[in-house]
Amino acid sequence: MNPRDLELLSAYLDGQLNPSDSARLESRIASDSSLRTALDNLRATRNLLRQLPSRRAPRNFTLTPQMASIKPPTPRIVPVFRLATVLATFLFIITFVINGLISLSASSFAAAPAPFAAGAAAPISAAQEAAPAPTSAPAATQAPALPLAAIAPTETPMPFGGGLAPTITETSTPEITLKSVAPQVENTQPIHSQSESSVPVDFEIFFGALAIGFGITAWILPRNNERNLRKKWNKK
Amino acid sequence: MDEPALIQSAQRGDLDAFNTLVLHYQDALFNTALRILGDDDLAADAAQDAFLSAFQHLNSYRGGSFKAWLHRTVTNACYDELRRKKRRPTTPLEPDTDDGDEMDSPRWLADPHLTPEAQAEADELEHAIQHCLDALPVEFRTVVVLADLQGLDYTEVAAAIRAPLGTIKSRLARARLRLQECLQGFAELLPAAFRLQEEQQ
Repeated sequence: MNPRDLELLSAYLDGQLNPSDSARLESRIASDSSLRTALDNLRATRNLLRQLPSRRAPRNFTLTPQMASIKPPTPRIVPVFRLATVLATFLFIITFVINGLISLSASSFAAAPAPFAAGAAAPISAAQEAAPAPTSAPAATQAPALPLAAIAPTETPMPFGGGLAPTITETSTPEITLKSVAPQVENTQPIHSQSESSVPVDFEIFFGALAIGFGITAWILPRNNERNLRKKWNKK
Repeated sequence: MDEPALIQSAQRGDLDAFNTLVLHYQDALFNTALRILGDDDLAADAAQDAFLSAFQHLNSYRGGSFKAWLHRTVTNACYDELRRKKRRPTTPLEPDTDDGDEMDSPRWLADPHLTPEAQAEADELEHAIQHCLDALPVEFRTVVVLADLQGLDYTEVAAAIRAPLGTIKSRLARARLRLQECLQGFAELLPAAFRLQEEQQ
Protein backbone atom coordinates (compact mmCIF):
# COMPACT_ATOMS: atom_id res chain seq x y z
CA MET A 1 0.00 0.00 0.00
CA ASN A 2 1.33 3.40 -0.86
CA PRO A 3 1.90 5.94 1.94
CA ARG A 4 -0.81 8.23 0.58
CA ASP A 5 -3.47 5.52 0.86
CA LEU A 6 -2.22 4.58 4.32
CA GLU A 7 -2.52 8.19 5.44
CA LEU A 8 -6.01 8.47 3.93
CA LEU A 9 -7.17 5.28 5.64
CA SER A 10 -5.76 6.35 9.00
CA ALA A 11 -7.39 9.79 8.77
CA TYR A 12 -10.64 8.19 7.59
CA LEU A 13 -10.58 5.92 10.63
CA ASP A 14 -10.40 8.99 12.88
CA GLY A 15 -13.08 10.86 10.92
CA GLN A 16 -10.55 13.47 9.79
CA LEU A 17 -11.30 13.39 6.05
CA ASN A 18 -13.56 15.96 4.45
CA PRO A 19 -16.87 14.59 3.08
CA SER A 20 -15.77 14.46 -0.57
CA ASP A 21 -12.47 12.65 0.18
CA SER A 22 -14.32 10.37 2.53
CA ALA A 23 -16.93 9.45 -0.10
CA ARG A 24 -14.21 8.84 -2.71
CA LEU A 25 -12.27 6.59 -0.34
CA GLU A 26 -15.39 4.68 0.65
CA SER A 27 -16.14 3.86 -3.00
CA ARG A 28 -12.53 2.67 -3.44
CA ILE A 29 -12.74 0.55 -0.26
CA ALA A 30 -15.95 -1.03 -1.54
CA SER A 31 -14.24 -2.15 -4.72
CA ASP A 32 -10.75 -2.90 -3.38
CA SER A 33 -10.44 -5.71 -0.83
CA SER A 34 -6.81 -4.87 0.01
CA LEU A 35 -7.84 -1.40 1.08
CA ARG A 36 -10.64 -2.88 3.17
CA THR A 37 -8.23 -5.29 4.90
CA ALA A 38 -5.73 -2.49 5.52
CA LEU A 39 -8.46 -0.37 7.08
CA ASP A 40 -9.58 -3.25 9.31
CA ASN A 41 -6.02 -3.86 10.44
CA LEU A 42 -5.49 -0.23 11.26
CA ARG A 43 -8.74 -0.23 13.21
CA ALA A 44 -7.73 -3.35 15.14
CA THR A 45 -4.35 -1.82 15.99
CA ARG A 46 -5.95 1.39 17.16
CA ASN A 47 -8.47 -0.53 19.26
CA LEU A 48 -5.72 -2.58 20.83
CA LEU A 49 -3.85 0.58 21.81
CA ARG A 50 -7.01 2.10 23.20
CA GLN A 51 -7.58 -0.98 25.34
CA LEU A 52 -4.19 -0.65 26.92
CA PRO A 53 -4.93 -0.27 30.63
CA SER A 54 -4.38 3.15 32.08
CA ARG A 55 -2.00 3.01 35.00
CA ARG A 56 -2.56 5.02 38.12
CA ALA A 57 0.16 7.45 39.01
CA PRO A 58 2.47 5.82 41.58
CA ARG A 59 2.20 8.90 43.80
CA ASN A 60 0.56 12.28 43.85
CA PHE A 61 2.40 14.91 41.87
CA THR A 62 0.90 17.81 43.79
CA LEU A 63 3.34 20.61 44.48
CA THR A 64 4.31 21.69 47.97
CA PRO A 65 5.54 25.18 48.83
CA GLN A 66 8.65 23.62 50.25
CA MET A 67 9.69 22.25 46.89
CA ALA A 68 13.03 23.93 46.42
CA SER A 69 12.74 24.83 42.81
CA ILE A 70 9.28 26.33 42.93
CA LYS A 71 9.16 29.80 41.58
CA PRO A 72 5.73 31.41 41.82
CA PRO A 73 4.25 32.55 38.53
CA THR A 74 5.07 36.06 37.42
CA PRO A 75 2.12 38.48 37.66
CA ARG A 76 0.60 39.12 34.26
CA ILE A 77 1.17 42.88 34.43
CA VAL A 78 4.96 42.50 34.71
CA PRO A 79 5.59 41.99 30.97
CA VAL A 80 3.62 45.20 30.33
CA PHE A 81 5.89 47.12 32.68
CA ARG A 82 8.94 45.55 31.06
CA LEU A 83 7.75 46.65 27.64
CA ALA A 84 6.94 50.13 28.98
CA THR A 85 10.46 50.33 30.44
CA VAL A 86 11.98 49.47 27.10
CA LEU A 87 9.81 52.02 25.27
CA ALA A 88 10.48 54.80 27.79
CA THR A 89 14.22 54.06 27.65
CA PHE A 90 14.09 54.18 23.88
CA LEU A 91 12.28 57.53 23.90
CA PHE A 92 14.70 58.86 26.50
CA ILE A 93 17.65 57.89 24.31
CA ILE A 94 16.00 59.49 21.27
CA THR A 95 15.37 62.78 23.10
CA PHE A 96 18.85 62.65 24.58
CA VAL A 97 20.42 62.23 21.15
CA ILE A 98 18.23 64.95 19.64
CA ASN A 99 19.18 67.33 22.47
CA GLY A 100 22.83 66.58 21.93
CA LEU A 101 22.59 67.26 18.21
CA ILE A 102 20.67 70.50 18.70
CA SER A 103 23.06 71.89 21.30
CA LEU A 104 25.94 70.88 19.03
CA SER A 105 24.46 72.78 16.09
CA ALA A 106 23.62 75.74 18.34
CA SER A 107 27.19 75.98 19.52
CA SER A 108 28.42 75.94 15.93
CA PHE A 109 25.98 78.82 15.15
CA ALA A 110 27.25 80.74 18.09
CA ALA A 111 30.80 80.32 16.86
CA ALA A 112 30.10 81.96 13.47
CA PRO A 113 27.09 84.35 13.60
CA ALA A 114 28.75 87.42 12.04
CA PRO A 115 27.74 87.29 8.33
CA PHE A 116 24.11 86.57 9.04
CA ALA A 117 23.84 89.17 11.78
CA ALA A 118 25.50 91.83 9.65
CA GLY A 119 23.25 91.04 6.70
CA ALA A 120 20.20 91.21 8.85
CA ALA A 121 21.22 94.42 10.51
CA ALA A 122 21.95 96.28 7.31
CA PRO A 123 18.41 96.47 5.91
CA ILE A 124 17.08 97.53 9.29
CA SER A 125 19.34 100.51 9.47
CA ALA A 126 18.64 101.35 5.86
CA ALA A 127 14.93 101.12 6.42
CA GLN A 128 15.09 103.06 9.64
CA GLU A 129 16.98 105.77 7.89
CA ALA A 130 14.54 105.83 5.01
CA ALA A 131 11.34 105.61 7.04
CA PRO A 132 11.40 108.93 8.83
CA ALA A 133 12.30 110.76 5.65
CA PRO A 134 8.73 111.38 4.30
CA THR A 135 7.51 112.93 7.54
CA SER A 136 10.45 115.11 8.31
CA ALA A 137 11.47 116.31 4.88
CA PRO A 138 9.18 115.84 1.87
CA ALA A 139 11.85 117.11 -0.43
CA ALA A 140 14.15 114.35 0.51
CA THR A 141 11.52 111.79 -0.46
CA GLN A 142 11.57 112.98 -3.99
CA ALA A 143 15.04 111.86 -4.51
CA PRO A 144 14.36 108.12 -4.15
CA ALA A 145 11.07 108.60 -5.99
CA LEU A 146 12.81 109.58 -9.14
CA PRO A 147 13.10 106.16 -10.69
CA LEU A 148 9.38 105.58 -10.15
CA ALA A 149 8.43 109.03 -11.37
CA ALA A 150 10.44 108.39 -14.46
CA ILE A 151 8.18 105.46 -15.31
CA ALA A 152 4.84 106.64 -13.91
CA PRO A 153 4.43 110.05 -15.64
CA THR A 154 4.67 108.51 -19.05
CA GLU A 155 1.50 106.47 -18.45
CA THR A 156 -0.61 108.65 -16.11
CA PRO A 157 -0.54 112.40 -16.03
CA MET A 158 -0.48 113.91 -12.58
CA PRO A 159 -3.16 116.57 -12.21
CA PHE A 160 -2.49 117.33 -8.54
CA GLY A 161 1.17 117.99 -8.87
CA GLY A 162 3.90 115.58 -9.56
CA GLY A 163 5.17 115.39 -5.97
CA LEU A 164 2.24 113.70 -4.19
CA ALA A 165 1.79 110.39 -5.86
CA PRO A 166 5.46 109.54 -6.04
CA THR A 167 5.77 110.45 -2.40
CA ILE A 168 3.09 107.93 -1.34
CA THR A 169 4.54 105.32 -3.58
CA GLU A 170 7.93 105.98 -2.33
CA THR A 171 7.10 106.02 1.36
CA SER A 172 5.49 102.61 0.95
CA THR A 173 8.66 101.18 -0.47
CA PRO A 174 10.66 101.42 2.74
CA GLU A 175 7.71 99.90 4.60
CA ILE A 176 7.80 96.87 2.29
CA THR A 177 11.48 96.67 2.88
CA LEU A 178 10.87 96.69 6.59
CA LYS A 179 8.26 93.95 6.36
CA SER A 180 10.44 91.82 4.20
CA VAL A 181 13.30 92.27 6.57
CA ALA A 182 11.29 91.79 9.72
CA PRO A 183 10.79 88.02 9.34
CA GLN A 184 14.48 87.62 8.81
CA VAL A 185 15.14 89.52 11.97
CA GLU A 186 12.56 87.40 13.80
CA ASN A 187 14.12 84.28 12.39
CA THR A 188 17.41 85.17 13.91
CA GLN A 189 15.92 85.14 17.40
CA PRO A 190 14.90 81.44 17.64
CA ILE A 191 18.38 80.32 16.72
CA HIS A 192 19.47 81.25 20.19
CA SER A 193 16.20 80.46 21.92
CA GLN A 194 15.87 77.02 20.19
CA SER A 195 19.06 75.86 21.79
CA GLU A 196 17.73 77.01 25.13
CA SER A 197 13.95 76.67 25.26
CA SER A 198 12.64 74.56 22.33
CA VAL A 199 14.93 71.64 23.15
CA PRO A 200 12.60 69.15 24.89
CA VAL A 201 14.55 68.86 28.09
CA ASP A 202 11.29 68.32 29.92
CA PHE A 203 10.54 65.37 27.67
CA GLU A 204 13.98 63.99 28.27
CA ILE A 205 13.50 64.17 32.02
CA PHE A 206 9.99 62.79 31.71
CA PHE A 207 11.04 59.76 29.65
CA GLY A 208 14.04 59.13 31.87
CA ALA A 209 11.83 59.20 34.95
CA LEU A 210 9.29 56.93 33.26
CA ALA A 211 11.97 54.41 32.31
CA ILE A 212 13.31 54.33 35.85
CA GLY A 213 9.81 54.12 37.33
CA PHE A 214 8.64 51.31 35.08
CA GLY A 215 11.93 49.46 35.52
CA ILE A 216 11.70 49.58 39.29
CA THR A 217 8.06 48.47 39.18
CA ALA A 218 8.87 45.56 36.86
CA TRP A 219 11.66 44.55 39.22
CA ILE A 220 9.73 44.93 42.47
CA LEU A 221 6.37 43.41 41.43
CA PRO A 222 7.49 39.78 40.95
CA ARG A 223 9.55 39.84 44.12
CA ASN A 224 6.72 41.34 46.10
CA ASN A 225 4.32 38.79 44.65
CA GLU A 226 6.72 35.95 45.47
CA ARG A 227 7.17 37.18 49.04
CA ASN A 228 3.40 37.45 49.58
CA LEU A 229 2.76 34.01 48.12
CA ARG A 230 5.48 32.41 50.21
CA LYS A 231 4.03 34.04 53.33
CA LYS A 232 0.63 32.67 52.37
CA TRP A 233 2.03 29.19 51.72
CA ASN A 234 4.00 29.14 54.94
CA LYS A 235 0.89 30.01 56.95
CA LYS A 236 -0.75 26.79 55.77
CA MET B 1 -14.42 20.82 38.34
CA ASP B 2 -14.48 24.39 37.05
CA GLU B 3 -11.29 24.13 35.06
CA PRO B 4 -11.11 27.72 33.71
CA ALA B 5 -11.64 29.16 37.21
CA LEU B 6 -8.99 26.86 38.67
CA ILE B 7 -6.55 27.83 35.92
CA GLN B 8 -7.17 31.53 36.55
CA SER B 9 -6.64 31.10 40.30
CA ALA B 10 -3.50 29.06 39.68
CA GLN B 11 -2.22 31.76 37.33
CA ARG B 12 -2.51 34.19 40.24
CA GLY B 13 -0.34 31.85 42.32
CA ASP B 14 -3.02 29.80 44.06
CA LEU B 15 -1.18 26.54 44.69
CA ASP B 16 -4.29 24.73 45.94
CA ALA B 17 -6.11 25.47 42.70
CA PHE B 18 -3.14 24.18 40.73
CA ASN B 19 -2.94 21.04 42.84
CA THR B 20 -6.60 20.34 42.09
CA LEU B 21 -5.68 20.39 38.42
CA VAL B 22 -2.67 18.18 39.13
CA LEU B 23 -4.86 15.57 40.80
CA HIS B 24 -7.21 15.61 37.84
CA TYR B 25 -4.51 15.18 35.19
CA GLN B 26 -1.74 13.30 36.96
CA ASP B 27 -2.79 9.84 35.74
CA ALA B 28 -3.03 11.02 32.13
CA LEU B 29 0.36 12.72 32.24
CA PHE B 30 1.99 9.80 34.00
CA ASN B 31 0.61 7.36 31.41
CA THR B 32 1.80 9.53 28.54
CA ALA B 33 5.26 9.70 30.06
CA LEU B 34 5.22 5.99 30.80
CA ARG B 35 4.36 5.04 27.20
CA ILE B 36 6.93 7.43 25.75
CA LEU B 37 9.71 6.51 28.15
CA GLY B 38 8.79 2.90 28.90
CA ASP B 39 9.95 3.18 32.48
CA ASP B 40 7.85 3.82 35.58
CA ASP B 41 10.38 5.80 37.59
CA LEU B 42 11.50 7.92 34.70
CA ALA B 43 7.85 8.51 33.83
CA ALA B 44 7.08 9.60 37.41
CA ASP B 45 10.05 11.99 37.34
CA ALA B 46 8.98 13.37 33.98
CA ALA B 47 5.40 13.88 35.18
CA GLN B 48 6.62 15.66 38.31
CA ASP B 49 8.94 17.86 36.25
CA ALA B 50 6.09 18.56 33.85
CA PHE B 51 3.79 19.78 36.62
CA LEU B 52 6.53 21.94 38.10
CA SER B 53 7.25 23.43 34.73
CA ALA B 54 3.53 23.88 34.07
CA PHE B 55 3.13 25.84 37.32
CA GLN B 56 6.12 28.02 36.60
CA HIS B 57 4.98 28.79 33.07
CA LEU B 58 1.27 28.83 33.69
CA ASN B 59 0.97 32.39 32.45
CA SER B 60 2.10 31.29 29.02
CA TYR B 61 -1.14 29.32 28.74
CA ARG B 62 -3.42 31.45 26.57
CA GLY B 63 -6.55 29.36 26.37
CA GLY B 64 -7.41 26.37 24.20
CA SER B 65 -7.16 22.80 25.38
CA PHE B 66 -5.49 22.76 28.79
CA LYS B 67 -5.02 19.01 28.45
CA ALA B 68 -3.06 19.54 25.22
CA TRP B 69 -1.02 22.29 26.89
CA LEU B 70 -0.17 20.02 29.82
CA HIS B 71 0.74 17.24 27.42
CA ARG B 72 3.18 19.58 25.75
CA THR B 73 4.97 20.07 29.06
CA VAL B 74 5.10 16.33 29.72
CA THR B 75 6.26 15.61 26.17
CA ASN B 76 9.07 18.13 26.61
CA ALA B 77 9.97 16.58 29.96
CA CYS B 78 10.09 13.15 28.28
CA TYR B 79 12.34 14.45 25.50
CA ASP B 80 14.66 15.91 28.16
CA GLU B 81 14.64 12.58 29.97
CA LEU B 82 15.43 10.69 26.76
CA ARG B 83 18.30 13.04 25.98
CA ARG B 84 19.65 12.54 29.50
CA LYS B 85 19.22 8.81 29.16
CA LYS B 86 21.10 8.85 25.86
CA ARG B 87 24.00 10.73 27.46
CA ARG B 88 24.07 8.56 30.61
CA PRO B 89 22.60 5.10 30.00
CA THR B 90 21.28 3.54 33.21
CA THR B 91 20.32 0.07 34.35
CA PRO B 92 16.62 -0.80 34.47
CA LEU B 93 14.85 0.43 37.56
CA GLU B 94 12.61 -2.62 38.08
CA PRO B 95 12.30 -3.31 41.82
CA ASP B 96 14.02 -6.39 43.14
CA THR B 97 12.39 -9.29 44.97
CA ASP B 98 13.73 -10.59 48.25
CA ASP B 99 15.86 -13.04 46.25
CA GLY B 100 17.40 -10.20 44.30
CA ASP B 101 15.51 -11.02 41.09
CA GLU B 102 13.73 -8.30 39.16
CA MET B 103 9.98 -8.24 39.47
CA ASP B 104 8.24 -8.37 36.09
CA SER B 105 5.07 -6.87 37.48
CA PRO B 106 5.42 -4.68 40.51
CA ARG B 107 2.71 -5.45 43.05
CA TRP B 108 1.53 -1.85 43.41
CA LEU B 109 0.76 -1.67 39.70
CA ALA B 110 -1.37 -4.80 39.52
CA ASP B 111 -5.11 -4.52 38.94
CA PRO B 112 -6.80 -6.07 42.02
CA HIS B 113 -9.93 -7.00 40.02
CA LEU B 114 -8.17 -9.46 37.73
CA THR B 115 -7.42 -13.10 38.45
CA PRO B 116 -3.72 -13.95 38.56
CA GLU B 117 -3.94 -15.63 35.14
CA ALA B 118 -5.78 -12.75 33.56
CA GLN B 119 -3.39 -10.32 35.19
CA ALA B 120 -0.45 -12.26 33.77
CA GLU B 121 -1.98 -12.18 30.28
CA ALA B 122 -2.75 -8.48 30.54
CA ASP B 123 0.79 -7.81 31.70
CA GLU B 124 2.25 -9.77 28.82
CA LEU B 125 0.09 -7.97 26.29
CA GLU B 126 1.01 -4.66 27.83
CA HIS B 127 4.68 -5.59 27.65
CA ALA B 128 4.27 -6.55 24.02
CA ILE B 129 2.62 -3.27 23.13
CA GLN B 130 5.18 -1.30 25.11
CA HIS B 131 7.95 -3.23 23.36
CA CYS B 132 6.50 -2.23 19.99
CA LEU B 133 6.03 1.37 21.12
CA ASP B 134 9.65 1.49 22.27
CA ALA B 135 10.71 0.30 18.83
CA LEU B 136 9.13 3.35 17.19
CA PRO B 137 11.09 6.54 16.59
CA VAL B 138 10.25 8.90 19.45
CA GLU B 139 8.39 11.41 17.27
CA PHE B 140 6.10 8.63 15.95
CA ARG B 141 5.69 7.18 19.44
CA THR B 142 4.66 10.52 20.89
CA VAL B 143 1.98 11.06 18.25
CA VAL B 144 0.48 7.60 18.61
CA VAL B 145 0.52 7.82 22.42
CA LEU B 146 -1.22 11.19 22.41
CA ALA B 147 -3.79 10.26 19.75
CA ASP B 148 -4.58 6.62 20.44
CA LEU B 149 -3.77 6.18 24.12
CA GLN B 150 -4.73 9.60 25.46
CA GLY B 151 -7.52 10.22 22.97
CA LEU B 152 -6.39 13.70 21.95
CA ASP B 153 -7.79 14.85 18.61
CA TYR B 154 -5.49 15.87 15.76
CA THR B 155 -5.55 19.58 16.60
CA GLU B 156 -4.73 18.86 20.24
CA VAL B 157 -1.86 16.60 19.22
CA ALA B 158 -0.64 19.31 16.84
CA ALA B 159 -0.78 21.84 19.70
CA ALA B 160 0.95 19.46 22.10
CA ILE B 161 3.94 18.77 19.88
CA ARG B 162 3.84 22.02 17.89
CA ALA B 163 3.67 20.36 14.50
CA PRO B 164 1.38 20.91 11.50
CA LEU B 165 -1.73 18.77 11.08
CA GLY B 166 -0.32 17.12 7.96
CA THR B 167 2.69 15.94 9.95
CA ILE B 168 0.41 14.52 12.64
CA LYS B 169 -1.65 12.59 10.06
CA SER B 170 1.42 11.22 8.37
CA ARG B 171 3.23 10.22 11.57
CA LEU B 172 0.13 8.62 13.05
CA ALA B 173 -0.56 6.52 9.95
CA ARG B 174 3.03 5.31 9.77
CA ALA B 175 3.21 4.66 13.52
CA ARG B 176 0.05 2.56 13.38
CA LEU B 177 1.38 0.54 10.46
CA ARG B 178 4.70 -0.11 12.21
CA LEU B 179 2.92 -1.10 15.42
CA GLN B 180 0.69 -3.45 13.50
CA GLU B 181 3.72 -5.10 11.88
CA CYS B 182 5.52 -5.35 15.21
CA LEU B 183 2.50 -6.79 17.03
CA GLN B 184 2.27 -9.61 14.52
CA GLY B 185 5.26 -11.06 16.33
CA PHE B 186 3.12 -11.41 19.46
CA ALA B 187 0.12 -12.99 17.77
CA GLU B 188 -0.47 -15.53 20.55
CA LEU B 189 -0.93 -12.70 23.06
CA LEU B 190 -3.31 -10.65 20.98
CA PRO B 191 -7.09 -10.72 21.28
CA ALA B 192 -8.89 -13.01 18.84
CA ALA B 193 -10.30 -10.13 16.82
CA PHE B 194 -6.83 -8.79 16.13
CA ARG B 195 -5.50 -12.23 15.14
CA LEU B 196 -8.37 -12.77 12.71
CA GLN B 197 -7.55 -9.56 10.89
CA GLU B 198 -3.92 -10.55 10.61
CA GLU B 199 -4.82 -13.96 9.21
CA GLN B 200 -7.02 -12.39 6.56
CA GLN B 201 -4.09 -10.33 5.32
